Amino acid sequence: MTIQVQDLNKSFRVHVRQEGWTEALRSLFKREYQTVQAVKDVSFTINTGEIVGFLGPNGAGKTTTMKMLAGLLHPTSGTIEVDGFKPQEQKNEFKKIMSLVMGQKSQLIWDIPPMETFLVNKSVYEIDDHSFRQTLDELVELLELQPLLGRPVRNMSLGQRMKCELACSLLHRPSVLFLDEPTIGLDVNTQEKVRQFIANYNREHKTTILLTSHYMGDVTALCDRVMIINHGKLLYDGELQVLSEKLTPYKLLEVRLPSSTRGPWESYGEVVTFEDGKLTLRVARDRVPLVSSELLANYEINDLNIQDPPMEEVITLAFQEESHDH
Amino acid sequence: MRRYWRIFKEFFRTCLVEELEYRSEFMGNLFSSLLGIIVSILMVQIFFYQTDQLGGWAYADVLILLGIFNTLQGLINFALRPNMPRLLLHIRMGTLDYVLTKPIDSMFFVSLRHLVFWRLIDVVLGIGLVIYGLGQKHFIPSFLDVGFFLLSILAALVIIYSLWMLLMTTAFWVIRMDDLSFLFNSFFETTRFPITMYKGWLRMALTYVLPAAFVTFTPASSLIGKWDGGATLASVLVAVIFFWLARRFWKFALANYTSASS
Amino acid sequence: MITKYLAILRMKYVEMFAYQLSTMVWMFGTMVQPLITMMVWMNIYPDQGESFVLYFVALIMVERLTSAWDVWEMDRQIREGTFSYQIVRPFHPIHWAIAENIVYKGLFLVVLVPCWIILALFIPSLRLHLSVTGWGLFLAALLLGAVIRFAMSFLFGILCFWMNKVTAIYAMFETVSLFLSGQIAPFSLLPPVVKQISTFFPYRYMIGFPLEILTGTANSHTLMIGFIGSFIWAVVLIVIISLLWNAGLKKNQAVGG
Repeated sequence: MTIQVQDLNKSFRVHVRQEGWTEALRSLFKREYQTVQAVKDVSFTINTGEIVGFLGPNGAGKTTTMKMLAGLLHPTSGTIEVDGFKPQEQKNEFKKIMSLVMGQKSQLIWDIPPMETFLVNKSVYEIDDHSFRQTLDELVELLELQPLLGRPVRNMSLGQRMKCELACSLLHRPSVLFLDEPTIGLDVNTQEKVRQFIANYNREHKTTILLTSHYMGDVTALCDRVMIINHGKLLYDGELQVLSEKLTPYKLLEVRLPSSTRGPWESYGEVVTFEDGKLTLRVARDRVPLVSSELLANYEINDLNIQDPPMEEVITLAFQEESHDH
Repeated sequence: MRRYWRIFKEFFRTCLVEELEYRSEFMGNLFSSLLGIIVSILMVQIFFYQTDQLGGWAYADVLILLGIFNTLQGLINFALRPNMPRLLLHIRMGTLDYVLTKPIDSMFFVSLRHLVFWRLIDVVLGIGLVIYGLGQKHFIPSFLDVGFFLLSILAALVIIYSLWMLLMTTAFWVIRMDDLSFLFNSFFETTRFPITMYKGWLRMALTYVLPAAFVTFTPASSLIGKWDGGATLASVLVAVIFFWLARRFWKFALANYTSASS
Repeated sequence: MITKYLAILRMKYVEMFAYQLSTMVWMFGTMVQPLITMMVWMNIYPDQGESFVLYFVALIMVERLTSAWDVWEMDRQIREGTFSYQIVRPFHPIHWAIAENIVYKGLFLVVLVPCWIILALFIPSLRLHLSVTGWGLFLAALLLGAVIRFAMSFLFGILCFWMNKVTAIYAMFETVSLFLSGQIAPFSLLPPVVKQISTFFPYRYMIGFPLEILTGTANSHTLMIGFIGSFIWAVVLIVIISLLWNAGLKKNQAVGG
């Protein structure tokens, strides 16, 4: 077991802001504080080599949890163990086996080439020449960094910078990798490349990866297992597929047929769209085989596709479930 | 003009609310402003511990000049300086485009958008020091003195704004010149004492090349009745020239920027 | 340890060249105030011009070589959240700061010493007549001064974990320094009270004391007091830093960076 989290809590005291002149003036003399519980009773275990997606809206507690795992924040209560270390102790041995990448914050120095920062990390993490060369070569090849190594970071596009950030944080071959919004702001193409890289890297090096993202694409492409968090509480922890089946007990049938065809579509399932010979039906999971065979038998069908509902929908449903609980 | 005044008031309001957010700093800022002016006065006192005139000016005269210096510095720190880092950020991150698409003069926007409200304390303290200096001197300025003073202080404000903008506009080409405001400071420091203190070519340079003489010296001279029509006229002229230069330079930089970015 | 330092030094060196323009601006910009003060004194005592030139040129030199900017750096990094990257790396962040200081002060030395030598060709009062011991004492005092000033700045930097805009307080601290460190006037021209007070504050040991040795105005009494004072301040500050650092990290872990 690589990461073990038990009953984790984190609360902050924040100043309550007021609007308007008089309120702002009053707050000069008397401040109101509020305790915000960012993470509530979160427990989970992540095994070596797993990639886990951490999902939730802004302010749900993803980054706070991740920062606690990286040792940047001290839990208010509960225990964390990462590879046998307590992150909050900030031991050097722990720092050497993990890495943190924050998509919105750069560890590279803005005005000089990334290679300089790489070299610093080489000695700070005490990487020997041979493995440094080897790792760097591998990363350069996988991420296509060659043309970037000598270029000042300020002259790079966001995507190029992110690739360098990834390389920089992998030089010491961490066994645990925390990725906080690694694809934020990237274009679709680069997102895809970064994803592929992460997937390959994980497969080859058995690195344990915890990833937060806004983009469903990141999670569906990379993670078999997701954890969904909202208002600081862990709502779901398990396979993405299972969640989908549980929350959306239906599939989408996409049928292509001559546009003149008419039929009692409503009797097969809920019609999502029907135009220009393209029919989309929402059908309960257990009825899918029956409905599709009936359709094929009774109508002239050009094409028939069975699809899972889009992940965004599943997640939205998950959050709705939670608000029902309240 | 009225519209710009209204927009400026809106800037003022938002910045004030933002400023009040930092309560602990309010007292700290008050304290730092007080300390600032006390330090300036002490500095003058240390000099006058050894002498009774500086560049031909007596203690009270120097205090009046210092008061004007403090006021102007307060205004710079209130309105101009806070905007410098933002412009650099705008250029670096490409967010200047947002500014350029706003239906408002871009130079106005980038130079006055962010105000650090508490710096106005310096202005109040500076004016206080001027009044104190006049009291020490037992001198009540005549109508004419005040007239010349107002004219030359207005010119001084325009000169300061223009020099500031000239410097700030270079941010388009120079990488990471967060230090431009520091450069301006170094220039502004030269106006802390009567310009008559400087000798020879240095004085010429500080009058005609970098118009430091017109920033504090001309207004202060006017206020203590030693006005000089020629100098006042020159300061107005210099102000017009520098403002024109600043404007041209800004437009030039923008033209370059918009054609360079894709 | 040494290899880590070498790597950071190298990086800071490269980084410095990316910022050479602003480095130059700072180096020459900080000369303006001493030069203005020099003008004032030359105006007050026109017949002692030469000694003021020596004093203020030496002041510029010593001030640069002991200057500290770490509090601004830390304030920025903590505010922007990039300080996290220093914390998660297995090397104490103070070493980054020390390495940076070494590189920049090396540059100041390389630029300013030749400037001095060239100036000395034209201005006789700038030719120094220090004995070997004199130089030794000067360098020791300078090093202690740099340590004290760096430690002060870093100490304020740690306070950024608790407060925002610590830099404003530090600026105040620097302002007081004008009087007590000998920047506004040589100690001999200051009122006696100020002179006495300055013995107890760290300011004098940052700039004024090395300066007195360099300009040859220090007698054995000043030397003794100076070294004792410098030493005490250096030790005290280092102890405070080591205590405060851990508390700062804890605080940072509680509220986040």
